[in-house]
Amino acid sequence: MEETEKAESSTNTKQEEEPQQVWSWGAGTDGQLGTTRLEDEHSPQLLKLSFLSPESVGRISMLACGGAHVLALTSGGKVFSWGRGSSGQLGHGQMVNYLYPKPVTFFDSYSIIHISAGWSHSGFVSDSGCLFTCGDGTFGQLGHGDYRSHCSPVKVSYFVNKNVEQIACGMRHSLVLLKDCLEDQVYGFGSGKRGQLGISKDRIRSVSLPQVTNGLEDVEIVGIYANGDCSAALSADGYLYTWGRGFNSTSDVHCPQYVPSSTSFCQAALGWSHALVLTGDGEVFMLGGSHHGTLSDLEKMSPARHLSANSSGVALEKVSGLDGVKVGQIAAGAEHSAVVTENGAIMTWGWGEHGQLGSGNTSDQTDPVAVNVGDEVQNKNTQLEVYCGSGFTYAISTTYLPSETC
Amino acid sequence: MSYDDVEIEDMEWNEELQAYTYPCPCGDLFQITKEDLRLGEEIARCPSCSLYITVIYNIEDFLDKKSNEKLEPSKQQPVAVA
Ligand SMILES: [Zn+2]
Repeated sequence: MEETEKAESSTNTKQEEEPQQVWSWGAGTDGQLGTTRLEDEHSPQLLKLSFLSPESVGRISMLACGGAHVLALTSGGKVFSWGRGSSGQLGHGQMVNYLYPKPVTFFDSYSIIHISAGWSHSGFVSDSGCLFTCGDGTFGQLGHGDYRSHCSPVKVSYFVNKNVEQIACGMRHSLVLLKDCLEDQVYGFGSGKRGQLGISKDRIRSVSLPQVTNGLEDVEIVGIYANGDCSAALSADGYLYTWGRGFNSTSDVHCPQYVPSSTSFCQAALGWSHALVLTGDGEVFMLGGSHHGTLSDLEKMSPARHLSANSSGVALEKVSGLDGVKVGQIAAGAEHSAVVTENGAIMTWGWGEHGQLGSGNTSDQTDPVAVNVGDEVQNKNTQLEVYCGSGFTYAISTTYLPSETC
Repeated sequence: MSYDDVEIEDMEWNEELQAYTYPCPCGDLFQITKEDLRLGEEIARCPSCSLYITVIYNIEDFLDKKSNEKLEPSKQQPVAVA
């Protein structure tokens, strides 16, 4: 059963279906919202993305939102980018901003399977396991063995003949998940001052060539995350490992540490000073985030709240205010959080000064609040997903035709 | 209370803005000029939001250069403010 907005006025032929709708809100002064306006939006804006016609490139399969730019990966393996481009992070061969999605033509003859957007750099993984990076390379975060920036994607030669599976780009560092028959490793490169590379107990200023992250050699990793100066990984058996800048003003962590927990996690998301994890039962826990919901009023901050919790100084706290509703997906911006509940609602909380909570105002929220993305009818064939950049948020609603659902 | 404490060596000199900068979680940049530093200012502000950071530096490192530097122009930049 298809219930799209156009259903009542059409004869419901397949050509008239709208398989995907995309909304954005929050900080927008670099064009990162894709609205073609250079301004913040405090409530969800439905975007007109003409490239999303199924005949051309298919739908968006994944978004990656960085400091002020966005990468979109399509189901056909193509990449579009927009927003701030002043460091070359859009990959268009120029250092200029784009206010609307523009295809990254460098990948015309590649099929891309994974993407990540950092503060001002970008990473792309092809189906053949190659890694490409572009943007700011000042800290070695592009992994090419130097400190140059690139405005078109460049293949990272260190990983040639290796099988890269994922890339995660933070503020000034990158993590790579390598999976092949010989090794299964996490690598880090770029700025390492806060321990975010996990490559040494000593304070490393930066490295420009990938180095193996310590302490994960015997762990099967299924997801890697980088944001700000923080790093994290999720293991196949459901443990979250974190390293880098300490949460809640605790000391930096130079080697991955797992977060003690009696439950296992199936998803993780990382901000600049907090992490979110999702359990198999649809419960959300937050690590760190003492700023969350009080950042606009800096006097209210209480960085010492959990100082004695455990060796890394922070405790997992269950996110309250979800009223027992199960969550299906989580996302984290620099200082805000977004989740999609199993009944199809988007909830946000944290810092709201730029409207990144989508609540129609700029208030901070300590507890999750519902975001209204319009009168879209939710049904079992519609799937919502949220993605967070530093100070902005995207939501994508994908309606699957009955034949595509299993 | 400031969002973070940042050492001056971790800030980047931005020629266009004529200021030392550091990423702000809003997407813009915390900024502080050499003249601010010479005057002992230790707060770097973001032009787009209310957040600020505390800059850790040695004022002597900036006083020495005073003679051969012209005064900074206004730090107002063509950055749209929300
Ligand atoms: Zn800011």
